[in-house]
Amino acid sequence: MQRERIRKLESVIALTVSTFAAALGIFWLVFILGSVIVHGAHALSPGFFVHDPTPAGIPGGGMRNAFVGQFLITLFATIIGVPVGILGGTFLAEYARGKRISHYVSMLADIMVTVPTIVVGTFIYAIMVKPMGHFSGWAGSVALAVIMIPVVLRTTENMLTLVPWTLREAAFALGAPYYKVIMQVVYRGAITGIFTGVLLSIARVAGETAPLLFTSFNNSFFSGNMNGPMASLTVTIFQYAMGPYDDWHDQAWAAALVITLAIMIVTIVGRMVIKLRYGKK
Amino acid sequence: MAIAIKREAADVKRRPPIFRRDPLDILFYAVTALAAMAVVAVTLGIFYILVRESYPAIKKFGVFGFIVSKEWDPYREVFGAATNLFGTAVATCLSLIIAIPVALGIAIFVTEIAPDFLKGPIGAAIELLAAIPSIIYGIWGFFTLAPIMSAHIEPFLMNTLGRLPLVGPLFQGTPMGIDLLTASVILSIMIIPFTASISRDAFNLTPEIVKESAYAVGATRWEVVKNVVIPYSRLGIFGGVALSLGRALGETMAVAFVLGNNHQITTSLFDAAATITVTLANEFTEASTKTYLSSLFYLALLLFVLSFAILAVAKIFLVRYEKKNPREQ
Repeated sequence: MQRERIRKLESVIALTVSTFAAALGIFWLVFILGSVIVHGAHALSPGFFVHDPTPAGIPGGGMRNAFVGQFLITLFATIIGVPVGILGGTFLAEYARGKRISHYVSMLADIMVTVPTIVVGTFIYAIMVKPMGHFSGWAGSVALAVIMIPVVLRTTENMLTLVPWTLREAAFALGAPYYKVIMQVVYRGAITGIFTGVLLSIARVAGETAPLLFTSFNNSFFSGNMNGPMASLTVTIFQYAMGPYDDWHDQAWAAALVITLAIMIVTIVGRMVIKLRYGKK
Repeated sequence: MAIAIKREAADVKRRPPIFRRDPLDILFYAVTALAAMAVVAVTLGIFYILVRESYPAIKKFGVFGFIVSKEWDPYREVFGAATNLFGTAVATCLSLIIAIPVALGIAIFVTEIAPDFLKGPIGAAIELLAAIPSIIYGIWGFFTLAPIMSAHIEPFLMNTLGRLPLVGPLFQGTPMGIDLLTASVILSIMIIPFTASISRDAFNLTPEIVKESAYAVGATRWEVVKNVVIPYSRLGIFGGVALSLGRALGETMAVAFVLGNNHQITTSLFDAAATITVTLANEFTEASTKTYLSSLFYLALLLFVLSFAILAVAKIFLVRYEKKNPREQ
């Protein structure tokens, strides 16, 4: 009887501790998002979006340059990375389906998804910044694209595998060549998934800082020139937060709020779409 | 990771016909194959370029010599990786020690305890932690967590654990908040979602019937988790932990703010230190001499090789685990 009670007690304690662990996880999420919202909302103003930075130490000014820079860098990263990722994923899921090479390449892609992004920054520095002799928005875009490719590739592969094989067979039976089957049947069936996957991957790279530090660098002036150094929200947050001025800290928080909100919204909506479309659990 | 993708098992075996006679089909085949090879090319390219760029430093300092040397002196141009490796190892290990129990607790809660209507939302909320950009962890850690650590938590640890004989020296010094402990706490929050979601998926793969047999002989819920679910899914948990380890190794921005970038090997967790990533982030654009830059590339190479190896092991574990326990449809 005594032993039974101890076992039950032990169980209750262990389960309570687990519940606390879950509460702790939620607590961190609320704590981090809460601080970002509180500090950021206090510093956010319309001028933040439409003004360029003022010289260091002078209050006022905004981050228009960083918004534009971030947009351009991410846009070109998407233009470079997404087609390569989608086509590569198509190869793995269609032409190389079930073959050994498909298995190895997707495993490699899985590893590359998690490889330290700062290493990608040093790589792009060596192959683009050093030969060109200066930092550039292009280098930043290529660095982000390199990070994006394996993510998009894996998502596409997964989404294409979900399209039932019989659909393809039906098209084959009509005499369609494989590329036509892929473009007109398979892609059509997987479009929601691929599109959402692309959105999620954009959200992922938009928050990257480390690969931009030595590629697009930073620029305190407004610039639409992809061939020169370019400001981005994330690198600006780093610079401002480490800087000595209170005004800079406020602006860093404001930028943090904007980028966090944008990424959270895209991520939540994207995951919900995928869940509604594919998850039946 | 967010959503378990069900692969139609029978599908994988079926191979498509290739209509070689259609030139457009051959073209499309070639283009997609080329795109897939981009991943391989980038991997090999990174390795080759990093070796090439760090070659002067490799020649000057050697491999073993570089790894064990504690020197990091840009003025005398003598460089060694020991302080950076030390910082990386301590921050990573400590963050895993903090994160693993919490992550397993979360996984247990989500799979075994939570009522059905809570399972989805709580799991999703924890996974949202992984979507927060690392720079946000950095700025939050710097302005919000570090002051709390230095004012409350570190003095408390100093007065309790710091007095103990064996572990005491770990918790002594000046509680500044900008140190190894704060960096590890932030890292641990960042990796919790990865470990938790993989462990949860692994727990979910434990067959109901095995669990029910344990309940039938009178096991309590905790005993089922401890003696059935965890042993059953240990390969999966292992993979998840290794994956988180790889993540923590390469994390830059979250620790760059709160580590202080001080090249030293310390006995106290309340001291500033430097990891490979933090050194790169802070010094790469300032490296003025060839040897300096080359040594930084050398560090990047070490980091790349290290994390690649760990992630490959993680992946192999996870693939083995999935093979052993195919998802039920």
